[in-house]
Amino acid sequence: MHLDFRLNEDTETDWASVTEEDLRYRVALGNLIFRVGDKDFSAAWEWIPLVDLVASFHEIVRKLESGSGSETFEFTESDAWIRFEKKDEKVLVSASYGEGVGEIPLSELAEATKSFRERLHGEIVRKHAHAAHNAAVTKLLGSAVPRG
Amino acid sequence: MNLSPFTVWLVACGLLVTGGFGIGQTAKYAQVQNGANQVVLTHWALQHIMARHWPDSPATGAGKFQAGITEATLRDMISEAFHNGHARQNTHGRSGTIYEYDFQRQIGTTIDGGPATRLRIVVNSRNEVVTAFPF
Repeated sequence: MHLDFRLNEDTETDWASVTEEDLRYRVALGNLIFRVGDKDFSAAWEWIPLVDLVASFHEIVRKLESGSGSETFEFTESDAWIRFEKKDEKVLVSASYGEGVGEIPLSELAEATKSFRERLHGEIVRKHAHAAHNAAVTKLLGSAVPRG
Repeated sequence: MNLSPFTVWLVACGLLVTGGFGIGQTAKYAQVQNGANQVVLTHWALQHIMARHWPDSPATGAGKFQAGITEATLRDMISEAFHNGHARQNTHGRSGTIYEYDFQRQIGTTIDGGPATRLRIVVNSRNEVVTAFPF
């Protein structure tokens, strides 16, 4: 499985005062790269709010680990979705805009989401120093320490 | 969520915002009444919707409104969806409420170019429209 992102360049956002709603809908935009086996659920739409996406994935993983049988991520600007269906200790992944169903261990999805979250946090803080002290960033990305 | 008690007014920002200020700064939108039974379309939200969902928007993977849409017709459609649409809580930690309404006629195109008859709007806890798009 490959879960990654491409963050758009952004020189206009005032990261000191960014709100949670900004992060959910308007800033830290980019592309999702998401391949499960030979299934590609990537979305190169440029407008995907990446902090929202990984915060949502984090919540989805938490719910699946807590016993939920199915969770659906909805994109913010379309009716497109990615569905996660738990089957024993594996997760079946499908998307409204992609073909087929991928299968991954839940533990692998959890680890990939954690890694995504840390890398996104690291890239945002590296490019926008004020983001490190923003409460909404901390709330959605945690106090994740980026990996070396 | 029980919508029936609501008398909904859509109050759109008709006054102009001047100057260039970015996200994260105070949104200077004209007011507008701010009662609990109204939904507000701020200048920022209108810009957001136009950037992604207007007929000439280059954004991919996003529903588009039909050619000929105006700010006034957008406000009317948002108001109708807010009045009559199905409401559900926003998902996975996002705050606010999603309203979806089927106009039973084409209002735009879906992300794969097909006809879209439904409108989804997201309204935050301050009763401000966050986004709106056909699907």
